[in-house]
Amino acid sequence: MEFEESGIGEECGVFGCVASGEWPTQLEVAQVLTLGLVALQHRGQESAGIVTSNGASPPTYITLKGMGLVSNAFPAEELLKLRSGNLGIGHTRYSTTGISELQNCQPFVVDTLHGKIAVAHNGELVNAAALRKKVMRHGVGLSTSSDSELITQLLALTPPMEEQDAPDWVARIKNLMTETPTSYSLLVMHTDVIYAVRDPYGNRPLCIGRLVPISKLHGSDTEGWVVSSESCSFQSIGARYYREVQPGEIVQISKHGIKTLSIVPRPEGDRPAFCIFEYVYFARPDSIFEGQMVYSVRQRCGQQLAIEAPVDADVVSTVPESATPAALGYAQQAGIPYVEVLCKNRYVGRTFIQPNTRLRQLGVAKKFGALTDNFAGKRVVLVDDSIVRGNTISPIIKLLREAGATEVHIRVASPPIRHPCYMGINIPTKEELIANKPEFANIAGYIGATSVRYLSVEGLVSAVQGGILPQEKDQRTEANKRLGHCTACLTGKYPVELAW
Amino acid sequence: MSGDRGAGKGAAPCHVVKEEVIAEGRWLKMEKTTYVDGGGTTRIWETAKRTTRKRDSCADGVGIIAILKRTLHIDCVVLVKQFRPPMGRHTLEFPAGLLDENESMEAAALRELKEETGYIGEVVGTSPVSCLDPGLSNCTTHVVMVNINGDDPENLNPTQQLGEAEFVEVVLLPLNEFQKKVDELLQKEDIIVDCKVYMYAMGMTQAVAKPSELPVLKQ
Repeated sequence: MEFEESGIGEECGVFGCVASGEWPTQLEVAQVLTLGLVALQHRGQESAGIVTSNGASPPTYITLKGMGLVSNAFPAEELLKLRSGNLGIGHTRYSTTGISELQNCQPFVVDTLHGKIAVAHNGELVNAAALRKKVMRHGVGLSTSSDSELITQLLALTPPMEEQDAPDWVARIKNLMTETPTSYSLLVMHTDVIYAVRDPYGNRPLCIGRLVPISKLHGSDTEGWVVSSESCSFQSIGARYYREVQPGEIVQISKHGIKTLSIVPRPEGDRPAFCIFEYVYFARPDSIFEGQMVYSVRQRCGQQLAIEAPVDADVVSTVPESATPAALGYAQQAGIPYVEVLCKNRYVGRTFIQPNTRLRQLGVAKKFGALTDNFAGKRVVLVDDSIVRGNTISPIIKLLREAGATEVHIRVASPPIRHPCYMGINIPTKEELIANKPEFANIAGYIGATSVRYLSVEGLVSAVQGGILPQEKDQRTEANKRLGHCTACLTGKYPVELAW
Repeated sequence: MSGDRGAGKGAAPCHVVKEEVIAEGRWLKMEKTTYVDGGGTTRIWETAKRTTRKRDSCADGVGIIAILKRTLHIDCVVLVKQFRPPMGRHTLEFPAGLLDENESMEAAALRELKEETGYIGEVVGTSPVSCLDPGLSNCTTHVVMVNINGDDPENLNPTQQLGEAEFVEVVLLPLNEFQKKVDELLQKEDIIVDCKVYMYAMGMTQAVAKPSELPVLKQ
């Protein structure tokens, strides 16, 4: 819940669509992009943008960008202007540092020697500072502080060995991928194709869906191809989940279909590093990663938590809504009934972190109400998905106690965060993290709970991998070698060496 | 029969006096129509008529303006392309057909649409009886507006049910730029467009584009 309250968020969501069959298409590409972005709204609410291309030579690109939610950012009259699009990419953006201006909104469109490209990026380049200097040394000026503009400029640079008239986009993208190891899930649109790219460590998600006639989800007519940060965007537009873009893969999506152009390998011995917090918090529960549903992973985290940190209690509950699967898993494993203890006012936005206790409590009181009859006189286990600073859960505990809970045991379905993230999650500075403070030794007293226990790192990893690894033990070691999740914020072990 | 509610230029009401069949074929007949004009003079008109008009019908047939609607797709007008011997060329028309005995215009429209294009639609509007080429013939039609639910599985792979001598090609053109798409088709192929189709196209352009133009007096 604390991620939600304090605004620690994913950087962005990306979405792309290419219409199949004859062009000009009758598929409303701009509408598909809009609906796709609406389904990715949880990944960014600050602004949204889409760019469509008519696929001609030379192509006409039309851009539409707006602040706020997708439903506000794209007025209907403006969307009509994009009707000539046969393919397009879109982006939802999370709050970043600096002024929120329309020019900083993606996708970026840039003219290169071989035509215009449009780029949508999710992630943060670990070596951005060094790359910026390199690009500027080449004489390229950068107008924003965003990584995504940097990527766009890097793609526009002519790689060595490229022929005069034959732009080799695979080579250019590969060039980019050797310049920066992580983290990026990219959509690059050029004239009549979209290149879907995932960094060699697969840190951010990216998957492909096949558009079919909306009433025949199991049909075989392909109306188009879509690519998205998360698969939760597919059902609402009549797309069937096809597959993930593999770490290091460059996929070409055109009107003719899907084609793997290349897979850039990691340095020998390096494991993939898919952000484990996508499973814990960021992704929508109905999305699928590595063949498993996010909801199921969260449920298993709750079960594992009940095994690692059981307690005698009467009811299990949660702070609505992100930790509900974990709480249900905990309740099921512990054999304790699950009840709802809090009622959420969904019209209240994030309760800002207030400087003093009283204001903080007022903030929480505005957002949550106690369902007293469900737990008065009882011992409550409250499952939450994260405690980062520790100041949003304590007013809740107070609220529950005042409403009659005799004991409040906090069980956190993720391990404590101790280290910063350089791959795109804006975790507070090291000093602010509760796990790094001396108070952590007695965190229960600090937040006013009867007891506090976190899920262990091993527990989290086993809950995540449980749905991926084959059942038979002898097959596991082989499969294990291809698995890898980034747990840097939990363990301090970063997937790549960080360059300053 | 008599046109006594005609626009009054002269004092005498216009009306038909006599109709004599000059020639008759299987489908058409030609008549000599004796009539009194607005000035009171008796004159002759050469009239073509169909032999197929049913006793209880006020119209010969139906013409169908069918819009194919699919989720996340631009609405398309359903047109048909066929060789028309009187023109000696292929034409681009709305699907159409003659009324069967005791058939309502709605039923005829849906039947003809299914036969010529394979689509199953629903009627959303009809026109009154309207004349097609009143200087030449007495042929009348009802224009029937039809919506086709393109999401319905029955309309995903439409199959025509054509008669032995019928060779009809279905043409789908997006509604949002209908006139432009018709023009493009005419450029590409040696076909002649039916007047009703083009008038519909011009009306669509007028309705969509023109309202945003402010009327300004030319200096």
